[in-house]
Amino acid sequence: MKILLAEDEIDLADVVSAMLAHSGYTVDTVTNGLEAVEKTRTDAYDAILLDVMMPVMDGLTAVAEIRKTGNTTPVLFLTAKTEVNDRIAGLDAGADDYLTKPFAMGELLARVRAMTRRHGQYSPSIVTLQDLTLDTSKSELTCRNSISLAVRESRLMEQFMNHPGIAFSTEDLLEKFWKNEDGADAEAVWMYISFLRNKLRAVGSTLVISGESGGAYVLTQGITS
Amino acid sequence: MDSIYSGYEKKLYDIAIRVTERIRNYGDAYSDKTGKKLFEHLSWRIKSEESMRSKCLEDGLPLNAHSALKEVHDAIGIRIVCLFLNDIHANIEELHRLPGCSVVEEKDYISAAKPNGYRSYHLILSVADDEPDIDGNYPGTYFAEIQLRTIAMDTWAALEHEMKYKKDIRHPELISAELKRCADELAACDVSMQTIRDLIRS
Repeated sequence: MKILLAEDEIDLADVVSAMLAHSGYTVDTVTNGLEAVEKTRTDAYDAILLDVMMPVMDGLTAVAEIRKTGNTTPVLFLTAKTEVNDRIAGLDAGADDYLTKPFAMGELLARVRAMTRRHGQYSPSIVTLQDLTLDTSKSELTCRNSISLAVRESRLMEQFMNHPGIAFSTEDLLEKFWKNEDGADAEAVWMYISFLRNKLRAVGSTLVISGESGGAYVLTQGITS
Repeated sequence: MDSIYSGYEKKLYDIAIRVTERIRNYGDAYSDKTGKKLFEHLSWRIKSEESMRSKCLEDGLPLNAHSALKEVHDAIGIRIVCLFLNDIHANIEELHRLPGCSVVEEKDYISAAKPNGYRSYHLILSVADDEPDIDGNYPGTYFAEIQLRTIAMDTWAALEHEMKYKKDIRHPELISAELKRCADELAACDVSMQTIRDLIRS
């Protein structure tokens, strides 16, 4: 897992970075909010740790900028104990959690684990791609028509819409959406792909899920008539 | 008050029965061949005097038989209710081949549901008759509106109809929103059941 750390106190940044690396994370370290925002535009992270008080751009502004681009990566604020208003403002600006300095390294690691585990709950409920809109809170797919989706269909569709043009193997999907539950096999995946294909057609979308039974599936632009 | 159909009621009944018979015929032929039914229910009605008059007023048409028979196209209404979505399309193909009839208009409210969630496929048939019609044309021409839908769509439409004509409904916006949700859920079931049928048959 990849973590972005923005901290202007070099000593603290070194310690945190070393601890995270020791725990198996890959860490990119920057020293102000602007650099953090720029890094999120080119790299995908599993979590972002932001100091609040930083030169050039503070952590509050940085998280707001990161969220503006639709980035939903979990953000943990590192803040001094007295800054209650900062903590409130930070959470309101789009941070997911905060930790007051000084903190125990064990707690920092536990919070990072918790945040990365929970990721997905922070995803926006409306996903749009070309002519298609998915409202995950209502499990509703809309184009010219709207139609209801089963919970698993909605999760699958969200995955495809967030990664258009990316192929997912039957095995990937089984592991991610069926958690290898008993009785789930390539046939189950194929059935859900078939459901989604027909529902895409029913709402009148030009997007299609291509792929053969048991193979890899990819959401692409269909041939328009 | 004189009938707006001005002596053509009997003719409308005859035409409705004739077209319904032809639909039943292709349905029977399909059943004989496959052992399966192309539709579950087939029904028809002649638009009531009262409905026809208000329809003419709504459309700004004079209240006469020409309006009722030539301008308004659903004096005869025929409904075909199917089990599965693909059966609707099989019926549409048959209707295009129906003897003595031609399709003059099609509205696909299944591909593009109405904003309230209404789904059905509407098709206007022009039906030839061997006697002169109200305009003196020979052969005469009559119109029939065919509505095709699944059982789920039919149930929904029945409920929506009930709501539309009931006065003093409490929380009408809430009811409308929930009806729309039901329509989308029923549509999802129709698509899922068609998909499962395809998977079983493949």
